Amino acid sequence: MEFTLKNFIFYGFALMTVASALLVVTVRNIVHAAFSLMVTLFGVAGLYVFLQADFLAATQVIVYVGGILVLILFGVMMTSGRLEMRIHVERGQLLLGGIVSLALLTLLLTVIANTPAWKNLTDDGTELPPTTERIGELILNGPFLLPFEVVSVLLLVALIGAALISRKEVRE
Amino acid sequence: MVVPLISLILLCPLAAFAVFGLSGLVNRRFPRQDYLSTVAMLAALVCSFLLLREVVPSPESHTVKWISLGGVTFSMGFYLDSVTVIMLIVVTLVSSLVHIFSMGYMHGDPRYPRFFAYLSLFSFSMLFLVVSDNLLGIYIGWELVGLCSYLLIGFWFEKDSAANACKKAFLTTRVGDVGMFIGMMMLFTKFQTLSLYGEGGIFALAANLNTGDMVWLSIAGILIFCGAIGKSAQMPLHTWLPDAMEGPTPVSALIHAATMVAAGVYLTARMFPILTETSSLVIAYVGGITALVAATIAIVRFDIKRVLAYSTISQLGYMMLAIGAGSYVAGLFHLTTHAFFKALLFLGSGSVIHAFHAMHAHGHDDEHDHAHEHSDHDAHGHEHGEDPDSRHILGSEIPADQDMRNMGGLRHKMPITFITMLIATLSISGVPFIFSGFWSKDAILGGVLGRAMEWNSVHHYILFIMALSAAGITAFYMFRLVFMTFFGEPRNQEMYDMAHESPKSMTVPLLILAVLSLPVVNILWFNESYVKPPPQPHLHAPQHAYVSPDSNTDKKGYTVSLFGVSEAVAAEEEGGHDTHGAHGDDGHHGHGPAHTIAMVLSICVAGLGIFLSWLFYHRRTLSAESVATTFRPIHNLFWRKYYFDEFYDGVLVALTVWKARLFAQFDGSVVDGIVNGVGVVTRDILAAFTGAFDNRVVDGLVNRVAQVTWAVGGKIRRIQTGAIQTYLFVVLAGIVLLILIFRAL
Amino acid sequence: MTLQHYLVISAILFTLGIFAVLTSRNAISILMGIELILNSCNLNFAAFSRFMTPPEDISGQIIAIFGIVLAAAEAAVFLAIILAIYREFGSIRPDEVDTLKG
Repeated sequence: MEFTLKNFIFYGFALMTVASALLVVTVRNIVHAAFSLMVTLFGVAGLYVFLQADFLAATQVIVYVGGILVLILFGVMMTSGRLEMRIHVERGQLLLGGIVSLALLTLLLTVIANTPAWKNLTDDGTELPPTTERIGELILNGPFLLPFEVVSVLLLVALIGAALISRKEVRE
Repeated sequence: MVVPLISLILLCPLAAFAVFGLSGLVNRRFPRQDYLSTVAMLAALVCSFLLLREVVPSPESHTVKWISLGGVTFSMGFYLDSVTVIMLIVVTLVSSLVHIFSMGYMHGDPRYPRFFAYLSLFSFSMLFLVVSDNLLGIYIGWELVGLCSYLLIGFWFEKDSAANACKKAFLTTRVGDVGMFIGMMMLFTKFQTLSLYGEGGIFALAANLNTGDMVWLSIAGILIFCGAIGKSAQMPLHTWLPDAMEGPTPVSALIHAATMVAAGVYLTARMFPILTETSSLVIAYVGGITALVAATIAIVRFDIKRVLAYSTISQLGYMMLAIGAGSYVAGLFHLTTHAFFKALLFLGSGSVIHAFHAMHAHGHDDEHDHAHEHSDHDAHGHEHGEDPDSRHILGSEIPADQDMRNMGGLRHKMPITFITMLIATLSISGVPFIFSGFWSKDAILGGVLGRAMEWNSVHHYILFIMALSAAGITAFYMFRLVFMTFFGEPRNQEMYDMAHESPKSMTVPLLILAVLSLPVVNILWFNESYVKPPPQPHLHAPQHAYVSPDSNTDKKGYTVSLFGVSEAVAAEEEGGHDTHGAHGDDGHHGHGPAHTIAMVLSICVAGLGIFLSWLFYHRRTLSAESVATTFRPIHNLFWRKYYFDEFYDGVLVALTVWKARLFAQFDGSVVDGIVNGVGVVTRDILAAFTGAFDNRVVDGLVNRVAQVTWAVGGKIRRIQTGAIQTYLFVVLAGIVLLILIFRAL
Repeated sequence: MTLQHYLVISAILFTLGIFAVLTSRNAISILMGIELILNSCNLNFAAFSRFMTPPEDISGQIIAIFGIVLAAAEAAVFLAIILAIYREFGSIRPDEVDTLKG
């Protein structure tokens, strides 16, 4: 494997993603975990860039970091009353969960390593045109119009449902 | 015209009763049941009079098949001859008058509508009995009138005495009815039919029986007469009739004087053609003894209704005697005259009682409860302490308003009641010439004496003497009643002051009946061609009789000597044979020596009876008490009614109770023992075994299954932790395992 | 930078997410685990779109965008449910919310 800047940056993002994800799982303070998650999400966004999915990377940053992460922090504050919360871990559960997770990881890695169709597919490094315009075409004027509308309705329903569920106290 | 008329006669009263029954079913009373019943009865009366014209020449019969059982067919139908029509008129007439009378007498009774409904039902039953042309129909009507009698005697069933009296009446008549039924069955087994008339009827078939069957036929006739003994209260089943006076007085007048009790006489008359010498004699003796004994008992009664009841029994005995002695026409003639004057007497006594009732209900206020009144009077009755009968026998207490010792001088207070009752009394006593009772009684006496002279029979002479004595005693006790009630000084001033003449609805029927007690209205019986006695093929004069057998019997086997319309006999008569007595049977005017003798004697005894009664109870030159003391044993015999009730109580009832105890003991020890034994065996052995099996095996199985399920469930439910993460863990572990397992594939 | 690089990163993210979901004693950290899993999925979609299809075909990216939208919706509903549970039980510890326990 040649050691280019591009490779170096890629491995940097990959390491950042995996390490911060590990932190998310292991850190005891939930607010710290949330911030680690933010790092992970940034890392994933970087990986999207390497995959030449620029619109996706931007969406990842805007929606996840700007929306979901804030939501999570609000959840923490509303349920604990302050901006920090301990994450309790039980030893037996930790062990069992670890075993299952490791087994799953082994399984996945074996599959990845042994699937012939996935082998030797390298990024040839060709520059593709920006995707934003094409995505716009496909979603609003192409085959993904119906799924897009369905997802919009789903989002709307989810938001109304969320508001309804959390408003219950007020109604009483 | 005959069939519609008869149907109307039957249906009118039935419809009146049906309206009551149906209105009861829908729970909405018809408002004027009294008018309805009365109008129905009057309609039946009109129809009866219309029938009178229809039937004169010859009997008419209409029959339909009713039931076919096996080879036997029972039919239902009418038989209509002059006797039927006269009976119909008597029944409807008396019934109508009683209906009208009851509107006054029963006014204010809580069960006032029901009373009229029962009267309607009774009238229907009686009319049905009268017109039936077969024994089955007669039996049905017979039992129906018995039922109505039961219902009406017990009309005030709140009174124990009334409730007991109606049971007694029903059971006692039932004794006779069983005999009657056996008699019917005897005839049925012999002839395979219950129809009386026509080609295949019992009478036609019985006429052809030979002499070997005479014993059998006599027994059948006597058994059927048993029904009449019960229903007409003849000795020895007469005890129910005096007790039946517990019923309302109109009922006593209609059922227990004029119609139902006369049904026995009517039945016997209907059976006239099959009566043999023996059965006739039995009937005559029963009637004669009853007439005499009942009359003697009546002498010492103080209850005005009881006197009349024994008088009725006595008069019914007369009728039986007449029929038994072959005086068919005389018996039925007496039946009709008696129906009118005895109904009059009863209604008159009802009028008197009503006057006293009203006294108890404070003046003219008629809204009173009769039953309650009566129970009051029962208590009063004991205050008149000279009652020698200290021992309680059913009906021996006298209600104050029926006790003649409380009456006296009422003729000033109740003139109409007095005059009408006096007419009836004169009639029943046989005061000559202008009263119907004289003629009918004289016909009987003449008939019996005629038979005695004709047959030269000791039996009939004895019977004649019985009848004659009874006639004298009748005159005595009837005038005793009148003297005690209407003459003399008031014995109970308080009751006397409150007494009053009855309302018009009651006095009008009295007046009508008084007119009917005159002989003019019974003119039909004087027309010899109108009522003819049926032939009696098996009744032969004894060998020593004057009449030669060939003159008695024509070619067809019918005896014709007993009625004067036969030309053959008329020829014999002119031939110098002394058969006047036989003819006197029909000659109500007493043109034979027998009748002349009978008439003279009956006038004598009636006069004697009235005179003695006058001496005892009006002039009081003779003291009844001193005579009673002198002849203490005889007085006791009369007072205790010949110990009939004591006999029944002491022997029959005690025997029945003893037998019942025996059976109860058998039931208690043996039957119950067996049942209990079986029960014990079942409970202690079988039940214990099955119980153990049930507890151990069946329950064990069930419990074990439940325990296993419980245990397994308890274990399994741990899996359901309720923690989502556990579920997820299991799911993932499962996925991993599955992939590992199927990896080789 | 082969496809397998991305797949391995994705697999690690997935496993860590599963681990968080399985072991966490806090509903919010479970949510974060789920977010990790969803991210790994999206990464897979983008990677397969990049390597397995012609360059012009970007359907995988669009699916990933839909995935992000679903994640947003899911996060909103999840948090609403967490709030409701907190009000009901006074806790958001999943092991204490065990009404379904047998």
